[in-house]
Formats: sequence, C-alpha cells, structure tokens
Amino acid sequence: MYEFFTNPSVYTFVRGPLVWIAFIIFIGGSIYKVRTLILLAKKEKVVFPYMSLKYSLRSILHWLIPFASRNWKRRPMMTIVTFAFHICLVFTPIFLLSHNTLWYESWGISWWTLSEGTADVMAMIVLFGCLFFFIRRIVAPEVKFVTFASDYILLTITFAPFLTGFLAYHELLLPYKIMLIIHMLAGETMLIAIPFTRLGHMLYFWLTRSFMGSQFGGWFQARDW
Amino acid sequence: MAEVKAVEKEVKIEEVLEPSLDKELRIKRKKVVDPGFDETIKRLTPEKIEKTINAVLNLRKTAARFLAPLETCIHCALCSDACQYYISHDKDPTYSPASKLRLTLWEMIRRKGKVSPEFIKQCARIAFTECNICHRCSMYCPFGLDITYQIGMVRRILFLLGVVPHNILDQDNSQSATLTQLWISQADWIDTIQWLEDETRLEYKNLRLPIEKEGAEVMWAPLGTEPKIATYHVVRTAIIMNVAGIDWTVPSRDGWDSVNMAMFIRDFETMQRVVLGLYENCLRLKVKRLVLTE
Repeated sequence: MYEFFTNPSVYTFVRGPLVWIAFIIFIGGSIYKVRTLILLAKKEKVVFPYMSLKYSLRSILHWLIPFASRNWKRRPMMTIVTFAFHICLVFTPIFLLSHNTLWYESWGISWWTLSEGTADVMAMIVLFGCLFFFIRRIVAPEVKFVTFASDYILLTITFAPFLTGFLAYHELLLPYKIMLIIHMLAGETMLIAIPFTRLGHMLYFWLTRSFMGSQFGGWFQARDW
Repeated sequence: MAEVKAVEKEVKIEEVLEPSLDKELRIKRKKVVDPGFDETIKRLTPEKIEKTINAVLNLRKTAARFLAPLETCIHCALCSDACQYYISHDKDPTYSPASKLRLTLWEMIRRKGKVSPEFIKQCARIAFTECNICHRCSMYCPFGLDITYQIGMVRRILFLLGVVPHNILDQDNSQSATLTQLWISQADWIDTIQWLEDETRLEYKNLRLPIEKEGAEVMWAPLGTEPKIATYHVVRTAIIMNVAGIDWTVPSRDGWDSVNMAMFIRDFETMQRVVLGLYENCLRLKVKRLVLTE
C-alpha cells in the first residue's frame, strides 16, 4: 500500500490498494450475502423451526467426503475431479510460498507453506479440473442444455489466476512482471466475483445443504445423500 | 409384424412443441390436448403474463428458499440421474430437473417476464406433467438445493394465470367451493355415511359409523373419492375401527376431506383453507388424533 503512494505504477496499484479493495469486497460481500440469506430465512416460518444441528452436520459430512453419497458413488470420475479441483483451488493460494512471503513482507505473519513442486502440481490439478468441467459442458448433453455464457465466464474467472500464476512462476509466454500484474488482477477479480456470482456456492453450500439435511432428517425421516 | 411397426411408428410420433419459440427452447414432445392449457392461453395478454410472473418472481427478495437455489446452482446437471422422467426417456437432456428450470423459471427471469402465451403453455406442460415434485433431485444435488420448490413457483405462476390441467383445476374449484375434492355437499356426505352404516350392519352386528361424536379418540378424514365413488373403502375403515375397538368419529361439517388438490397447483389460499377446515373440526369435536387416508 505504502509503495503505491511513493512510487505509483500499475504494478504497485494492483499489489497495494487493489488487494485491499478486493479483500474488503470479498469479506464484506460474503458477510452481507450470508447475513441477508439468514435474515430472510428467519422471516420464513418453515426454515428455522426445522433446522437441526445433528441432521445438518450429518448431511454436510456425507457430501464433503468423496464417495460417501450415492451420487458421488455413481459418478466416480466427476467425484475424483471435483474433490481434487476444489481442495487444490482453496488450499493452493492460501499455502503458496510466494503468497506467504507477501503476507510476511506486509504484516510480518506467515504460516505453513507448500513446497514449490507440490504447489505446481496442485495448480495443474486446478487447471485440468477447469478443462474437465469445460469439456463436460460441451460433451455431456444434459450439462450442455443448462449451460449459459455465464458458466463459461465463471470457469474463466477460476481458470485465469491459476494459469497466470503458473506461467509467471515458470516465466513463460510474457515477461515475469507483466504476467504477475495479470495474475494479481485475475486473482482480485475472482475474489470480488465470489460473493456476487454463482461462485458464491462456496458460501451458500453450508446453508442450503444444512437446510436440506434438516428437512430430510427431521421431517421426511430419510437420508439425503 | 407390419402392424406392430405401424403401431410403433404411431407411438413414436414426436414433434417439436411450440415451434414459435426460440430455437434453444424448442423441445420434442408428443402432442397432448388439454383444454386447461389450450383454451386458457387464449385469454392471456402479454401485460397480464408479465405482471403475474414479476409478482411471483419478486418473492425472491423476501423468500430465502426461493432465492438461495437460484444464486447457488452452478448448472452441473448432477441432479439428472435422480429424475424418473429423465431416466425413463432414455436420458433425454430436456427432462433433467435443471433443464426443466432452464426451460421455465430461468427463462422467465432472463426475460423479466416478457414471454409469449406459447411459452406459458410449454411451461405448464413441463411443470404439471413432467415433474412429480418428488424431491429426489434434492437428494442428488451436491448443494441440496430445493429444485422442486422452484418448480412449485412455476406452478404458482401458471395457477395465477389460470393455465392448469383442466381436471385439476376443476378439483381445485371444488375445494374452494365445498372444501371437498369432488363437489360433495354436506347433505350427500352425511347421507352416504348413514346408508353405509345401515348396509354394513347387515354383515357386522352393531357396527357404528359415528358422526359428530364429541370427545372421541380419533377423527377420521377420508379422501373425497371414498364416499363419492369408492364407498367400500369407507366400509373397510369402519370395519377395522370397530373390530379394533377404536373410539372414532367423522365430522358432519365441511372440512372432512383430506385431499389437498390446491397444494399441487400451489393455490396457497385454498390450500390453507382445506387444512384449516380439518383442524377446526378436530378442535370442535375435541378429538385427540386426526387419522387420514393414504
């Protein structure tokens, strides 16, 4: 942030103020979205009276473990890809060494990091995951029928930070610094997009899953996995 | 053999439903004639459709159950395998739960309610005849989204527009007028119970079909079809109750029919009156338990 004011340039802008803006929008937007949904649900007479912690956790757990639900068992390929994809998607940026260094430089904090080789593989898994979903959208007729332009945009938003990060690390295609600027822009775009697009399933998953789990467990006396 | 082939050919006649719609919305279906769809859409005007759709879609701003699935669904189509319509139509993608929303609700939202009567007719076909509201898709959705609730909202829009299968609309009208499914008057109901008691007593000595017995243990609420066209069901229930020695009764006033056709077409106003009628009878007769036929 300080660097931007002493030496304003595109690089210091995307590294300084834009990161702040992105994180504030991401965290603030997420809190706003979840809060709004919960407040709305409180007004509905049939949501909260049925909510049950036991059935919610039971349902979430069964869907967060690979092959623990019937649909995960039926589609092994999808299950493996989607779990690998989502795990790498969330943990690579958090535990990446370069990102950790940035946190350390700015705030003097750091935590456990991935080795560079592991991070490379994990980024590749995300990229291949995106590619898999992209091909699935074109090839599988039932997915193709419900695919909109927005779905491709969301895939691109997810794909871009990992691709540019990968290329920047290996210094391919474009000069390092330019690629780094694109990478940071892409990452910030994704952070901002999460609360306000359907990437928000990251936030809503817990709520919708627990409502359905409670509904099936407490109301229909059945499993929902 | 030639005959079989001819029959097969006839059964497999498939044509594009509503050719006037946009290319991506045209789906292949066998033609079905229902005055509830074909005649009612003639009364629709673009303004009426837009106003009705937007009135229901505005509920998104106040109903979390409506809003959350729309903002969460990532269009993965993993719900497809859950749907018996999808499976029994050789995995035709237009029958999958997500596709049904894509062809109805999502399109209404995308066009902000500016849709044609032909589109409404196709929606009616999908929402009423290609979805059972069975909730299986919610069991297959990784997010546990209430897909059937969304189809229910499509039904709500269609009900408000009057585009409902003729048969169901008739039963709904009956419920709003008489609180029974099949236009049964209070006099008919009491009369049926009394002559059934008379007849059954020929076989079962001292059998009772007690009407309006205050303070009984159980109040029985049959389906409207039972006293109307399947009276032997009433007799069987009476025999079971008598042999089991249960202290039971049936109400004499309206509000004894446990069928709720209004619920299926999301006529919320009548739906509430039907349920309220049952509970009011229970309270009035001071019974401990309500037993329904199903």
